[in-house]
Amino acid sequence: MRLILPAGLALLLGSTPLWAQTPAQTGATQYPLVLENCGKRLTIEAPPERAVTIGQSATEILYSLGLAGKVKGTSVWFNPVLPQFADVNATIPRLADNDPSFESVLAQKPDLVAVQYEWHVGPSGIVGTREMFDDVGVNTYIMPADCDTKDNSTGGDGTRVGAFAPEQVYKGITQLAEIFNVQPAGRTLVSALQATEAQAVARAQALDLPEGLSAVFWFSSADLELDPYVAGRLGAPGYMMGKLGIRNVIESDEEWPTVGWETIAKADPDVIVIAKMDRRRFPADDVAAKMDFLKTDPVASQMKAVREGHIVVMDAHAMSATMRSIYGLDSLSQALSDMTFE
Amino acid sequence: MSASAAPWMVWGGIALVLAGTVLTGAAIGETRLPLATVYKVLANHLWQAGYPLDRIDAGIIWSYRLPRAIVAASCGAGLALTGVVLQALLRNPLADPYLMGLSAGASTGAVLVSVAGIGAGAVSMSAGALVGALAAFGAVVALAHAIPGGGRGNQGAAAIILAGIAGSQMFNALTAFIIARSANAEQARGIMFWLMGNLSGVRWEDVAPAVFVTCLGVGLCLWYRRALDAFTFGAESAASLGVDIRRTRGLLITVTAVMVGVLVAKVGAIGFVGLVVPHAMRFLVGTRHQRLVPASALAGAVFLVAADILARIIVPGQVLPIGVVTALVGAPAFALILMRGAR
Repeated sequence: MRLILPAGLALLLGSTPLWAQTPAQTGATQYPLVLENCGKRLTIEAPPERAVTIGQSATEILYSLGLAGKVKGTSVWFNPVLPQFADVNATIPRLADNDPSFESVLAQKPDLVAVQYEWHVGPSGIVGTREMFDDVGVNTYIMPADCDTKDNSTGGDGTRVGAFAPEQVYKGITQLAEIFNVQPAGRTLVSALQATEAQAVARAQALDLPEGLSAVFWFSSADLELDPYVAGRLGAPGYMMGKLGIRNVIESDEEWPTVGWETIAKADPDVIVIAKMDRRRFPADDVAAKMDFLKTDPVASQMKAVREGHIVVMDAHAMSATMRSIYGLDSLSQALSDMTFE
Repeated sequence: MSASAAPWMVWGGIALVLAGTVLTGAAIGETRLPLATVYKVLANHLWQAGYPLDRIDAGIIWSYRLPRAIVAASCGAGLALTGVVLQALLRNPLADPYLMGLSAGASTGAVLVSVAGIGAGAVSMSAGALVGALAAFGAVVALAHAIPGGGRGNQGAAAIILAGIAGSQMFNALTAFIIARSANAEQARGIMFWLMGNLSGVRWEDVAPAVFVTCLGVGLCLWYRRALDAFTFGAESAASLGVDIRRTRGLLITVTAVMVGVLVAKVGAIGFVGLVVPHAMRFLVGTRHQRLVPASALAGAVFLVAADILARIIVPGQVLPIGVVTALVGAPAFALILMRGAR
């Protein structure tokens, strides 16, 4: 079994992570390809021809690698697909907006299922366990961003045991490129994302933001006045805030803890980032409803961020540990450049 | 309550305890705020004292905590009264809103809105809960009347209990079906929180309906206190004492259903209060409803406000569902009362 260092740790040690070293930088993939993925050893005999995705992140990464032609079914959507893929996405069957059934995935005869969240496919996966897919000879690849620094055995959305870093996304992109034998496309995509990240950070640094600037990321709420689902310290929003020198007022390691408005108002963040999504299950899914609550609630409306109009709207999908997190970082940095802080 | 105490002293004492309970609820919460701030906020609102205050601190106490404490007190009183009424009418020590299917129906309504997407985000979970509670109650009553002999005498009481169990099972199964079919982790958590009771969404606009239905319930129970006493000896005995059984039972159960529907819709399904508080109070003040009704209402109010305070402070930075606290704290306390009563 090959030892894989967590990407963040490897970078900390000043070495290139193993996943970035194999195979030879310019060579084609050597099959059978053996790699570790979320605690499981995968053996890929040949480049997959039929992939099914469970999770928008996996879908968009495969599209970005130029592999749309091999995607035979998608599922678990949070936002509209990235505009550059709208046409191709329209031609690919959407098995479900949310969770597909085990059999609907198998009906596409996939040789690889690419998954965003371990709670869909994992030890207690609601679509199926990895063993169930093994039994029918289908490989499953779970995006490392959901397991490398995360304990999914805690239930719900899981708990981060270490901070999310974009290297986990890059690792996923690189490994998928390796699995499908399209390494140059993988390297191009990673470079583009790294450039976006660097540009976002440089823009924020140039703003000379005040010391101790704080923020909260509000995803949704089961009911508008109820305790909202907000971002914990270690997920994608935590990464964005860390990169831009912003303090998260929420001090939980849960991915999406529910925290009372009393606590949030008392912390009085300088910036509030609210999630925009197509889903309409809770009234608070609607970004307009969130905005309306912030402006009319007797306490929330008194927060600095609301009074000064420091409210940023961000795609919900960017708040998950995905390729879009880097785009989220960029949009947050852009939004900050339009704000003035005392 | 001493038998020789004047009524004004008794009611004055109850009012004092209630006011103290609500103020305690307003003073303690997720974040630390000085007691002086609580006083100043109340002074500013009640007699325009004009103290300069941080707007957020003032808002937390006046707009979040105070209505929350008042609604918690109303819910505690209302749920306890529901238990008193149902236990008397049905002559069943286990009777409470859960038994009548009300909580199960409310849960189904809430889940239909939040998970199955009924109303497409325009209908709140609490509206779904109210409709669900009343629908379940209607179904249980209809089923009870469909059972041969279901409308009369002791058999009628038994029929309602059986119908309640059947209705609860059906609505619980429906809830489980909806959740299993389409809830994701985030929703399941939100629903679980709601099913176990949750006061975090309470605002001033929720106060009037909650207080109104609870006061209506208290007033009605006191008005019918002798009838309730008579029912504890059985429907036939009540009839021989001149109680119009069907009318009284119908009226009291309907008011109970509306009360639970409104309260559950506001704060979710909080168990334990309706079942346990009346029993505890019988040990303390006896079985006569003249005392049992106010004592249960007061104890329910104090109990639920205390449980809500605990729910907010047990785990720092996190609010527990209040139903978890009512059971964890209430069960041992109830066991103690039972053991002392047995001796």
